[in-house]
Amino acid sequence: MLVTKQAPDFTGSAFYQGKIKKVSLSDYRGKWVVVCFYPGDFTFV
Amino acid sequence: MLSVSTDSVFSHKIWNETELSKMAGKDMPFPMVSDQTGAIGKLYGVYDEDAGQNVRGRFLIDPDGIIQAAEILSPPVGRNPKELVRQIKAYQHHQKTGEVMPSGWEEGGSTLKPSTDLAGNVWKVWQPPKE
Repeated sequence: MLVTKQAPDFTGSAFYQGKIKKVSLSDYRGKWVVVCFYPGDFTFV
Repeated sequence: MLSVSTDSVFSHKIWNETELSKMAGKDMPFPMVSDQTGAIGKLYGVYDEDAGQNVRGRFLIDPDGIIQAAEILSPPVGRNPKELVRQIKAYQHHQKTGEVMPSGWEEGGSTLKPSTDLAGNVWKVWQPPKE
């Protein structure tokens, strides 16, 4: 169960504003953040 | 906002260029994270081993890093961004005021202040919205 618990931290490569950069969830500490998983690029929904 | 899928960052780049930026009229305003091994999806319980991809998991995380809300959908149905915005506003209001938001609450709607006197008396001050 994840709700009410500390969000697991992660780091990954990301595409953002034309560049590839490393992003960690912990970069967002102090802000509200939404993490959205989805099945894949170029899917229809 | 962070989006996460098992695609490569190069796939994210091309998807942004060829399709998403055309829908939105601008580049995606958040990092598109690559999770090629599914490791991040596994941490959040949304990686489908059989399909080799993540399902539509959405997690709302507060400034202390606590997950306050989550929604998990299978692939065929898209999310409702209005409901996400409603939840963000509700949790922010709660953290600011200590008030709690009854079922169907929308911004500006009536809230409840938990107290001993209110126990068993919610019906006097709040009615469920009529459909």
